[in-house]
Amino acid sequence: MAGLTSLLNVARDALTAQSYGLGVTGSNISNASTPGYVRRVALLQTQDLGSQASGSVVATGLQRVTDDFIDRREFAATGTSSAATTRDQTLASVESLFNDTGGTGLGSSLSNLFSSFSSLANNPTDTTTRSNVLAAADAFSQQVNSAGSAIAQSQNDLKTQAQQTIDQVNQRAQEIAKLDIQISQATMEGNDAADLKDQRTQKLLNISSLINTTTFTDAQGNQVVQVAGSTIVEGGHAGSLSLDLHADGSLKLNANQSGGGTTEITQFLTGGTLGGIKEARDTDLFDVSKKLDQFVFDTATAINTQHAAGVGADGGTGRALFDVGGAPPGAALNLKVSVDVFNQPDKVAAAANVFSVPGGSDNAVAMAKLADVFTNTSATRTAAQAYGDIVGSIGSTRANSQRDVDTQKAILTQVQSMHQSESGVSLDEEMVALTKYQNAYQAASKVLNVADSLLGDLMTSVGR
Amino acid sequence: MRVTEGMRYDSVTNNLSEVSSRQAAAAQQAQTGLRVNLPSDDPIAAAQLARLSASQAQVTARRGTISSVRGDTELAESSLQQASDLMATAKELAVQGGNGSLGASERASLALQVKDIRDQMLGIANAKGSSGYLFGGSQTQTQPFSTAGAFTGDDQDHVVDIGNSTPTAVNASGAKAFTAAGGRDVLGDLDSLYTALNSNDTVGISATLDNLDASRAQITTAQSAAGTIVNRLDASDAILSNAQLQNSKSTEEVGSADAAAAYTNLTQLNNALQQSVSVSKSILDMAAFKQF
Repeated sequence: MAGLTSLLNVARDALTAQSYGLGVTGSNISNASTPGYVRRVALLQTQDLGSQASGSVVATGLQRVTDDFIDRREFAATGTSSAATTRDQTLASVESLFNDTGGTGLGSSLSNLFSSFSSLANNPTDTTTRSNVLAAADAFSQQVNSAGSAIAQSQNDLKTQAQQTIDQVNQRAQEIAKLDIQISQATMEGNDAADLKDQRTQKLLNISSLINTTTFTDAQGNQVVQVAGSTIVEGGHAGSLSLDLHADGSLKLNANQSGGGTTEITQFLTGGTLGGIKEARDTDLFDVSKKLDQFVFDTATAINTQHAAGVGADGGTGRALFDVGGAPPGAALNLKVSVDVFNQPDKVAAAANVFSVPGGSDNAVAMAKLADVFTNTSATRTAAQAYGDIVGSIGSTRANSQRDVDTQKAILTQVQSMHQSESGVSLDEEMVALTKYQNAYQAASKVLNVADSLLGDLMTSVGR
Repeated sequence: MRVTEGMRYDSVTNNLSEVSSRQAAAAQQAQTGLRVNLPSDDPIAAAQLARLSASQAQVTARRGTISSVRGDTELAESSLQQASDLMATAKELAVQGGNGSLGASERASLALQVKDIRDQMLGIANAKGSSGYLFGGSQTQTQPFSTAGAFTGDDQDHVVDIGNSTPTAVNASGAKAFTAAGGRDVLGDLDSLYTALNSNDTVGISATLDNLDASRAQITTAQSAAGTIVNRLDASDAILSNAQLQNSKSTEEVGSADAAAAYTNLTQLNNALQQSVSVSKSILDMAAFKQF
């Protein structure tokens, strides 16, 4: 049988517990829009004082309402989505290099070059027509150069970006390892460490947007974080990644081993910004650059061969129109008007033989007709068709990438919504909770009030 | 399902950005009038457009070629017509000179007329067009016939690219029209007539008659060849003009947006965007705590 004094204690415990609940609710409301904040629930339970009648209440702590399964799915979806977005950004800039709808692309300068040969045939003795051929050849070279150098620049930028991303991954790994230590200390001291856990989840979300990340708890109960299949955080220790290049210039991702030395993990890199960078740089850009070089090499070589067969107004023969090098790699970047003819219109070979100089136009016609000749290596496409193929292939790569971005975004949105539904703060709920704790607090005050007044009455009547 | 504030905000943001991006795409189509603004809008169409534009540039260049060389070819034809008329006149003078009733002084005066014809003929053979001497073959920058009648040109064709499988020659051959390479040396024949008339040599005069006929026939042949070239240029131009039209039509079909559909689509999306904004507003307003 509890006495009035213990009723005072019950009321005191109730006030403490309800205000704890109010505190948790307040924290939920104030963090309603904090990124990564996981809602908390105050855990209240009856406190056994040894007698059933006087069981009071105690706040044993709070619960962080979260679901590891959803968290992991969110990490995975974030990685895939940011890979798709990064890749798409690069493709968007490459696509604009080959966008001829404005009428100023590579295609129109190629057409102008062939048209200039056609005009040369009309009036081979005119210096202006000859100069126009050189000007058109120069314009074509410059267009090709700027496309080639934009691709090379892009590859360079992506390498820098990859290095920065890896630095960030390493930085996050350090931070996560540090948080792991803090969390285990706090847990040992009996604290919930909810704020630290929120931070840790945020860091994991961040690292998973940089690189494909998985997390699990190992047999010893340690939290393990793996990036690209390689363990980077385990039991409060952080490893690191480093960047290198393969002999062919493609990116090489290494996991640094604790005893020195590295293990290559490039083939396991599938997601995150870094995965997107790798695909854009080493697959997409590599592909475009290869096709462009081949197209430029085939076209320039065919024109060179025909030009060398002809005779200039000065009677000289065997001169190339372009400097293109002996093999396709680098052709787009280095194409220029040959020094043999540069700024020397009289050396443009319009005539087919030395006897028909200066009025002969057979070679000019032959060069103009190259527009209709299959000039690619397999002799199946004209220059314009080969160029159209490049445009089409870039277009379809970009279109696929855009679809991929949309799909991954939809998946991510879905997972984020699941996460929000599970762990997000609902202000409506919190308003109800606020009222609940407020009422309970007021009622507990009333209990205190009653116990106090009863005790007062007792004191008064006994003391008289 | 538990619905939280975060979900409301996320869904409002996502839906608004989705509708906005579709609206922006529709606005671009309506503004540019193009269905394919980037290769990724329709890769197959973009590749086709690139090829069409190359084909169009080629057709345009070829039509430019025709209009730029047609003038010279026509000029060559009409010059040869004049040359042929001159030869007819020369023949008449020769027939007249062969008349036995004429005296030496009358023949001498006919000879003067023949000399004049020869001078005109030399002028025609040395006629210049827009790109140099018409009848010099490839030697367009040097006068092909000297005053003495020596030919320093050649019999090279001036070929241009007008879309035929074999390059088309567009010049009239001076060598074939005026020199022994075509059968008769025209200026030489006129010289013979002049000499015969001047020296009152009736036998010599009648000997020139056949040669004068042959010379005239040779010029006429060259003239009709030039005429054929002009016809051929015109025929090619008609074909190219069709191709040009067809190319623009295909470009339009492949790359252009249907204006009415684009505008309707844009209007629909504008409305959808407005609606989406007002719905978002009411969703965000809905929070229950405002009622407490």
